[in-house]
Amino acid sequence: MQKIFAAGIGVGALVALGAVAPANAAEDTAMLSVLHGVPGLTVDVYVNDELTLDDFEPGDLAGPLELAPGTYTVAITAADAADASEPAIGPVDLPLEAGMDYTAAAHLDADGNPTATLFTNDTSDIAAGEGRLTVRHIAAAPAVDVLAGGDPVIEGLANPDEATLDLPAGTVSASVAAAGTTDPVLGPADVDVAEGTLTIAYAWGSLDDDTLALAVQTVSGMHSSPDGVPAGQAGLVATNAPERQLGMWVGVGALVLAAIAAAAVATRRTVTSKSER
Amino acid sequence: MVRVFGSLIAASAVLGLLAGCSAEPSGVGSAVPSASAAPPVAPSSEDGVARPAAAAPPAAVPDVPRRSAAIEDQPVAAPAPTRLEVPSLGIDVVVRPVGLDGNGDMDLIDDPAVAAWYRWGPAPADPAGSVVIAAHVDSLEYDVLPFARLRDAAPGTEVVVTDAAGTRRTYEVRGLEVVEKGAVDWDAAFDRSGESRLTLVTCGGEFDYDRRTYLSNLVVTAATTG
Repeated sequence: MQKIFAAGIGVGALVALGAVAPANAAEDTAMLSVLHGVPGLTVDVYVNDELTLDDFEPGDLAGPLELAPGTYTVAITAADAADASEPAIGPVDLPLEAGMDYTAAAHLDADGNPTATLFTNDTSDIAAGEGRLTVRHIAAAPAVDVLAGGDPVIEGLANPDEATLDLPAGTVSASVAAAGTTDPVLGPADVDVAEGTLTIAYAWGSLDDDTLALAVQTVSGMHSSPDGVPAGQAGLVATNAPERQLGMWVGVGALVLAAIAAAAVATRRTVTSKSER
Repeated sequence: MVRVFGSLIAASAVLGLLAGCSAEPSGVGSAVPSASAAPPVAPSSEDGVARPAAAAPPAAVPDVPRRSAAIEDQPVAAPAPTRLEVPSLGIDVVVRPVGLDGNGDMDLIDDPAVAAWYRWGPAPADPAGSVVIAAHVDSLEYDVLPFARLRDAAPGTEVVVTDAAGTRRTYEVRGLEVVEKGAVDWDAAFDRSGESRLTLVTCGGEFDYDRRTYLSNLVVTAATTG
């Protein structure tokens, strides 16, 4: 039931309104990002023996790559390596499924040894007005609590685990403390939890080497639309307004007119319903 | 495999513009291939793994987008729109950001001189998506409001939006529809992908005097012109 008022506008309107696909992964491919979370080590990243990221710096995020589903072998070498034959990390097999969104992180384990972890990013729909925050512990450090505004919101998070929560969109003052404490080892830092977006905060580096840092990745396209736009309350420009015949009123109390209009309609409906009986 | 990364990414970017479109060919839809037309990336196979890297000439490293993930290097949100003008209709209103009301609807501002921008959606400076600005068509307190004149927005009508950085962007009305409230495609109006554009929303059509609500929304779409 659409009434198109202006002529010749149908195509433009449909095109402009027609783009409704989510911005995240297509149904038949997998999305892969790569995070470098090993301090002090510039690397090359090989995917299936092909050099894919040259001179990849710590703290950098690459991608997303859109890939056909399947298992990819990733090897991470020193930046001056000639090929993938002597990896510093891996090779690791990454099984990627269609329609999913992943981040492969090269990082330190809790004891400070280089490793790699494949995380699956939660790209399910997010309610309008909310954002999603995932926190991942990929640092050489014991279990931690994550504090928002000084209060623990995630407790006992250990390397390489993650925790996820949806919360009203906005800026969160986040800090990381040793589990069971509130004295930050990292932060506080303002993390923007954008609406309809997955914001992933990584605690990476090494506690002992004093290289702890926060890295942030975002994945968008999971937003929900408002249910409607209730943009009128008086009926003054309604196509069925009886008083429209009076033309534009100037300086006349709209409330009075609206009340008259309502009364008029009510009366008319009463008469109609009576006559129908 | 590596060489197709870029084209796949490009194809997927434009796919977002296409999916859900009507079948009508258009400037948006006609020039782009579907993602399925792009060559598939071969997953790991005996072939791929066994091929000696040294046998190939030095392969170009693919141009995979990268950036610093450091929290201090995160992109700053685009400036909010602050003023909306439709000179030919005598509309010139302040714009303020809003979110949702308690019912899950887009919030609106009672002040008749102020329109509402859906802050969770795109801003004018964002590279993609629909900037949504809405205002009441009338009110019991303030009579008929400026957005009531949107019903006269003919195709080609100029709309100017100024943002908090002082940048003025000009749009041109492409379409106007009055759609019954239950039938409005809000996912399209609030779309965050596709070309940057402007969607103006108010109420219209018939009024339900018992429930004190209009039965339709008036939706004006406008494309950027500069």
